[in-house]
Amino acid sequence: MAPYTNIPLSPAELSYLHNSLSQNPPIRPDGRSPTQFRPLVAETDILPSTNGSARICFADGTEAVVGVKAEVEQSRTFVSATGEVGAEGVLGLGAGGVGDVDMDEEDDEQTSRAGKGEETWLEVAIEIPGMRDDDALPVFLSAMLTEALLADGELKDRLWINRRFHWRLYIDILLLSQPFSYPLPLLSLTTHLALLSTRMPALLSEKDEDPLFNDDWEASHFLYPQSEGRSESQRKPPVTLLVMSVGENIIADPSREELAVADAVVAISVAPSSTPDNEMVLKTLALRTVDPPSRLTGAGVPTALNTTAGGTSLTAAEALVLREKDQGQTVWRPPRGGVKRAVITRMIKLVTEQGGVGQEVLEGLAGVET
Amino acid sequence: MQADRRRINAPAGGTAPPTFTFADHPDLLRRPTRTRKPDEHRKIFLRTGIVPSASGSAYYEVPPAKPAPSTGSLVPTSSSLKITCTVHGPRPLPRNAAFSPNLLLSTHVKFAPFATRQRRGYVRDASERDLGVHLETALRGVIIGDRWPKSGCEVVITVLEGEEDGWFGEGREKGGGWGMMSVLAECITVASAALVDAGIDCVDLVSGGTAALVKGEGGEGEAVVLDPAPAEHEVTAACVVAYLQSRDEITEMWMKGDAGDSTEGLMDQAVRAAVMSRTVLVEAVKEGLKVGGDVQPVNGAPKGGEGKGKDVDMTG
Repeated sequence: MAPYTNIPLSPAELSYLHNSLSQNPPIRPDGRSPTQFRPLVAETDILPSTNGSARICFADGTEAVVGVKAEVEQSRTFVSATGEVGAEGVLGLGAGGVGDVDMDEEDDEQTSRAGKGEETWLEVAIEIPGMRDDDALPVFLSAMLTEALLADGELKDRLWINRRFHWRLYIDILLLSQPFSYPLPLLSLTTHLALLSTRMPALLSEKDEDPLFNDDWEASHFLYPQSEGRSESQRKPPVTLLVMSVGENIIADPSREELAVADAVVAISVAPSSTPDNEMVLKTLALRTVDPPSRLTGAGVPTALNTTAGGTSLTAAEALVLREKDQGQTVWRPPRGGVKRAVITRMIKLVTEQGGVGQEVLEGLAGVET
Repeated sequence: MQADRRRINAPAGGTAPPTFTFADHPDLLRRPTRTRKPDEHRKIFLRTGIVPSASGSAYYEVPPAKPAPSTGSLVPTSSSLKITCTVHGPRPLPRNAAFSPNLLLSTHVKFAPFATRQRRGYVRDASERDLGVHLETALRGVIIGDRWPKSGCEVVITVLEGEEDGWFGEGREKGGGWGMMSVLAECITVASAALVDAGIDCVDLVSGGTAALVKGEGGEGEAVVLDPAPAEHEVTAACVVAYLQSRDEITEMWMKGDAGDSTEGLMDQAVRAAVMSRTVLVEAVKEGLKVGGDVQPVNGAPKGGEGKGKDVDMTG
C-alpha cells in the first residue's frame, strides 16, 4: 500500500523502522551513527553570470543549484512620526552591526550602515520539480531560509549602498532532482556556499551620488568578507539543519525512510559567531517544528480485526476500542501529540554544542574551495 | 515592455505615503508602553459557535488595554487583535481524490485587506501561507486523524485586525515579523476552540502562547516578557509554541532571532503564556457546550451540522 503521502512503506515496514530507530543505540537503515551526516559533493562559482553560485549533490542523488544575483535599486525614503527621515538612521530592531566585522578600512563604513537595511531587500525563490510554487513545502522552505538569513541582521545592512540606493539580492534555488528526502538541509547548505562565494562590484562613487561601480571583477569584494588568517573569526551565512526524534533517540540528518516514522522533526538554523578568544561557537537563529510525514501514514490492522487471518468481524465501536487499547504497540499507528520540551532542548544542544553536528557540517563546508 | 508615453506614469521606484501627525497629540509621538506586568497576558475574549453554517467556528479578540485617548485623531495608538475561525468538515473527499487513510487537514490563514496598516491583497501572500503551514503543524498533532479515513477538513482563519510588527511612529515597516508570531499563537488558540465546536476528536486542547526577549528600559539589558505587543517593545527574539497541557507536549514551535543563552527560558515562558490562554479556551468551550444544550430542546430539532450534539464514544 502506497498511501496518499507517497511514502512507499507498508505499516509493517514502518513499525520495523520505528522499532529499530528507537533502540539504544538506534539502528539506522543506512548504518550511520545517530549524528553522522550523509556524504556530499560540492562545488562553488559554477555559474559565470551570477554574483555567486554553488552546487551540492547528496549521496542519495538529490542535487541543488543556487545562483545569487544582485541588482541596484532605488530606496524609498520614509518620514517617521517624529519628523525624522527614515533613511537617515533610525536604528533597526535587529542587533545588526554591533559586533563588527574585522576589516580595517571598511570599519567606519560598516558602522555607518548598521541598522539601515530592510528585510524586503532579500528575495529567496525556490523551484522544486513537480510542485507548484504555492505548495506548502516551497513556501515553508523559503520562509525558513529567509528568516535565518535575516536573523543576524548583518546581511541586510551590507546591501545598503547609500541613502538613495541599495542592492536587492535574489537568491534563486533550483532543486534539480526529485525531493527524495526532505530537501531543507540540502538547499540551506547550497545557499550557504553560494553566499560565501558571492562577490559584489566595488563602489567608485561617493556618498549619495548615483552609484557607479568598478567594472574590474578583480577589485570586487566578498559579500561575506573573508579574512586571510584564521577562518574561525570569519562571519558566515547560517545553515539550517534537520533533526528528528524517535522515542528517546535524537537523529541528525534523517533520510526519507527515517522521516516516515519520526515522532517530531525540528529545523534549526545556526550561524557561527566568534567568542573574544577566537573560538567558534554556534548560535541559534531560528527554530521551527516541521510537520512529520509520519502523521499521514496509514495505521496497521491488528490481527484480531483481520478477518482473513482468523480475526472476528467486530462492530465499528468495538474495533475502535481495540485499536485504542493497542496504542500502537503491536501494529503501526501514526504518532499523536507533540514533543516534550526536554527533547527539543536536547535537539538544540546536539546541533549547537562544541563538536556537535553544526560544527562538523560547517567545518566540512569550509573545506570546499571557493 | 515599452513604457506607455501617452499617460503620466507613476515613478518607477515607488513612493511612500506621508504620515501626518500633530504636535498637540503628544501621545501619538511616544511609543506605547507596557502597562501590564512582564508575566501578564492581555485579556482575551473567545466565543465558539458564531457561524451557524460552518460545522465549527470561534471568534477571538484581544481588546486594547485602555480606551483610545479622545484626541480626535484617526490614527489608533494600538492595535487590537480580532480573529475569526471556521471549520468545515470532516466531510468526504471528492471522488477523484486519491485514497487517504487519515483525515486530510488544510488550513488557510488570510488577513483581511483592512487588517493592518499596510493594505493586504486578496490573494494570500507568502507570509500568510507560511502562517497556514505553521497552523497545520500545530493542529495535525492534536487531531486523531486515523478515525476519519477518506475525509477532509478545512480550517479557515480570517484575521480582521492584525498585530503590528512594530511601532508605527518609526515611520516604516521595519518588519521582523514579530506581529506575525503573536498572530500565530492566537490563531492556534482560536482554531482549537473551533475544532472542539466542530466535534472533531483531539488528543487534548491545544493552546498557543508567545514570549519575547526584549530590550529593557532605556535600551539596557534584556528581559523576557509574555505575550508581547510588538509596538511596545524592541524585540530581539521571540518564540511561539502550541502546547498540550495535559500531555506536557509541544506540537509546534517557532523561534526567531538571536536569543543567545536564554533559548530555554524563552520556550518555558511561551509555554506559560499558552497555559494562561488555555484557561480562557477551556471556559469558552464549556460555555459553548452549555449554550448548545439549552438551544436544542427549545427548537425541538437537532442543531445544524451533523453529529454536533451527538456523543462519540471516546476510549483510550
